[in-house]
Amino acid sequence: MSGLILLTGTVDEITVNRREALRYLGYRGRQADDGIDALFDRAHSALAACAAPKACYRAYELTAQGDTLQFGELRLQSASLKKNLQGCRRLFLFAATLGAGVDRLLLRLQKTEPAFALVFDAYCSAAVEGWCNLVNGKLAEGRTLRPRFSPGYGDVPLSVQPQILSMLDATRKLGITLTDTLFMTPCKSVTAFVGIEGQGPRA
Amino acid sequence: MTLQQRLYAARTYFDGGMGTLLQKAGLPAGTLPENWNLSHPKVLEEIHLSYMNAGANVITSNTFGANTLKLDNLDEIIPAAYDNLARAKSRFSGDKDSVYLAFDVGPLGKMLRPLGDFPFEDAVAVFADSIRIAAQCGFDLILVETMSDLYETKAAVLAAKETCDLPIIVTNAYDESGHLLTGADVPAVVATLEGLGVTALGANCSLGPQQMKGIAAQYVQCASLPVVINPNAGLPKIADGVTAFDVDQEAFSDIMREIAALGVHALGGCCGTTPDFIRRTVEKTRDLPFKAPEEKHDTVVASYTHTVSLAGMPKIIGERINPTGKPKLKDALRRHDLRYLVREGIAQQDAGAHILDVNVGLGEIDETAVLQETVEELQSVLDLPLQIDTVRPAALEAALRVYNGKPLINSVNAKEESLQTVLPLCKKYGGVLIALTIGEDGIPDTAAGRTALAKRIIDRATQVGIDKKDIVVDPLCMAVSSDDNAAKVTLDSIRMIRETLGVRTCLGVSNVSFALPERADINAVFLSMAIQSGLSCAIMNPCAADMMRAFRVAAMVHGFDPHCENYISFALSHPHAASAAAPAAAKAGDEPTDLPPLMYAIVKGLQQQAADEAKRLLVSENPIALIDSQIIPALNKVGEAFEKSKIFLPQLLMSAEAASAAFREVSDKLPQTDGKKEQIILATVEGDIHDIGKNIVKVLLQSYGYDVIDLGKDVKPEAVVAAARKTGATLVGLSALMTTTLDAMAKTVALLKKELPHVRTMVGGAVLTQEYADLIGASGYAKDAMGSVKLAKRFFPEG
Repeated sequence: MSGLILLTGTVDEITVNRREALRYLGYRGRQADDGIDALFDRAHSALAACAAPKACYRAYELTAQGDTLQFGELRLQSASLKKNLQGCRRLFLFAATLGAGVDRLLLRLQKTEPAFALVFDAYCSAAVEGWCNLVNGKLAEGRTLRPRFSPGYGDVPLSVQPQILSMLDATRKLGITLTDTLFMTPCKSVTAFVGIEGQGPRA
Repeated sequence: MTLQQRLYAARTYFDGGMGTLLQKAGLPAGTLPENWNLSHPKVLEEIHLSYMNAGANVITSNTFGANTLKLDNLDEIIPAAYDNLARAKSRFSGDKDSVYLAFDVGPLGKMLRPLGDFPFEDAVAVFADSIRIAAQCGFDLILVETMSDLYETKAAVLAAKETCDLPIIVTNAYDESGHLLTGADVPAVVATLEGLGVTALGANCSLGPQQMKGIAAQYVQCASLPVVINPNAGLPKIADGVTAFDVDQEAFSDIMREIAALGVHALGGCCGTTPDFIRRTVEKTRDLPFKAPEEKHDTVVASYTHTVSLAGMPKIIGERINPTGKPKLKDALRRHDLRYLVREGIAQQDAGAHILDVNVGLGEIDETAVLQETVEELQSVLDLPLQIDTVRPAALEAALRVYNGKPLINSVNAKEESLQTVLPLCKKYGGVLIALTIGEDGIPDTAAGRTALAKRIIDRATQVGIDKKDIVVDPLCMAVSSDDNAAKVTLDSIRMIRETLGVRTCLGVSNVSFALPERADINAVFLSMAIQSGLSCAIMNPCAADMMRAFRVAAMVHGFDPHCENYISFALSHPHAASAAAPAAAKAGDEPTDLPPLMYAIVKGLQQQAADEAKRLLVSENPIALIDSQIIPALNKVGEAFEKSKIFLPQLLMSAEAASAAFREVSDKLPQTDGKKEQIILATVEGDIHDIGKNIVKVLLQSYGYDVIDLGKDVKPEAVVAAARKTGATLVGLSALMTTTLDAMAKTVALLKKELPHVRTMVGGAVLTQEYADLIGASGYAKDAMGSVKLAKRFFPEG
């Protein structure tokens, strides 16, 4: 286990994939048009005014026995994560969030401008992915990484979330909490495992 | 010396980090540190003792996460944690009288509603469960720390107040911008906590001492209470194998000396600090003279983000959330349409209100429940401080409990009954109290008489411990039509109360013109004169341009509008009718169209134009006919274009909102019985938080005039059934996006069929198919948002 690293960022550093946001809005392959681009521009300014992107990560040694993976104090049975991490001896555990200001604005927009609220919601979902990509980019310096893998993918249950947040001290450091059904608040938050290929330099 | 005495007499030192020391002693990562109170009592005892030897006065128990959400043996852990402290203290060879044992209370790790799912009262109960045990142990104080949400902080403080008499010290965790995670700034936190009656307050954790200097300075500037600053040892950084911090004990204690010099009263440490950090801090600050906390005299209310001071520029209290004389608002309250109230609130904020009055007093509704719910609803979307306005003590208390900040309380008067019920509530929950100059014999007709009543209220308030600065006197104004002197006496009273009693004043100005023609003129002039007499806040309608013009001008000529900015921006956006050249009509002409203007506005998604056009047509046309001949056909046209991919989702939604705006105008004109809309319940099923699709459906259904009851996302089957039962809605729409939640969808449909067989269900979402819908027995499958509208039309053929 390495030390816990904290990162903060700004919305303007984040590359937001608008195609991704369109997908959340159900565009299913249709082309975007000027109208939606103008709405995304507005969503971007609104996001920049309310978001506080934060992330934290820590590297762990990884051991595997059968489908059981062990890193730090987390023991996890998962065929799909094992496949994702095949050949990795270390991994990063990370959490990222855009902050509670986004939730606050979303609540207000849903009551005042429901249509724009939807566009904003979709844009923020794409933005938190963009923020994760940015953090991922920093992790990848001098290493080869596997694709990000989050609880809820494949056979990794959401029930690992409490332990992940505790290992990263994410409630205290990032303000991420869980609902009774294990969803994260602030809503635009992500936790993930990222495999480190080969030996790599120490994190 | 008690802790309170000490905090005012000498610099006090808190202990430092616990986690780092426990890890050094072998606490495995992932183990709950609280369990070590039982399994490793010796380790804890040594840590506590080493902090005492370092010179710390306040020593905190190892109970940061000791609550029923994380542990089920609190009745063993908390007493053990106390014993560890007590044994250390008995071994301490220094001055035992200057050592105080604190029960440490950390956050619950749950986000409270509305941002999260945890109910406020549940948070109070969980905190109370721990503090109740602690209160039996012999602790000297409760230390609520590392709180990054103001609302949760309030829950913890209320729990402590309601379960013990120990002093309460609160330190909050800020980010680099000086805000809590959920948005509160330092003045808002200070106002709220001083209102709640804590003993001392300040900041801890998340920042190093350097980054915390600015926050410390803000505390000293606005707090009347002792200030505590407990920073981390800088920020965590990479170091082989372990978390390390980037500030060592020498650098830390150097900066702590600077922080002490700012006038901070108590110093300690948090994550990464050790007894050596505290020892060096004590040594380096010993020679600095101590300055006791200074009483501040500003009158301040707070929302969950910021404060509004009633000093300086006069403030506007928006009066529109009040059913008196407002049939539409009355109707909204009867229908429990809180969205209407929220819209009123937002309109007033946009128009320039600083504070919002909230009054839902209406004979036929449960005022206690509705007032509480309205406060929660407003503070979920509006960051203005609220003025809680009710004559019912139970409703007042319910609203004060859930209010997130320091509210205005409207009101108390000089009658015995009022003083006895309202003052204790104000004292317990904190707030700025509006004092009406009404006595047992009514309203005195002289300024001297009203000033005397104001003085009586202030005296009684200070007797129960409410500071004079938290009283705002409303000298009241009668109609000038019934008494020639009515307005003059009020103006004289404002001046006399301000000059002789030194308190702020407020006034509802519109009563003065009752029963006279051209009331707006009278109100505007009277408002200017009241401001001239020194009025601190006006209860008025900020959406009335005449009143706002008078307010902006009066504020400007009294020097409260730097560079006339507020006035200029108001005047430019509100030109007089004469200077405004007919702009609106020309607008529609930018694109040739065969459509009537209303249909055009809906098709183009022009909200304001759709509303204006509907209003214009309603003068002559039948509302029902307008819906059938224009609104619905326009929407159908848009829907068709969407299905053919000629237009895209955002346009569809903008059109839907324009139609809704037109529909609102129409429904105002509909007779009450005809206005009853078909109700549809919508929910994203349990385990699923994807609600974009569900929200699209909601916007569209609303635009077609259906009354949509949105249960939100991640909704349990039982909750769906309960809502259908409560509202009597006969159509339920369910959405699911993940294959893993299809089960929950099936369960919800099955439970509805079992409990309420007459209720129909329509289902949709990315993973749904007609086959699956049939399989689980849903009444209909909507392939997209337009599909749900078609289904609704089929289920409600009349609608």
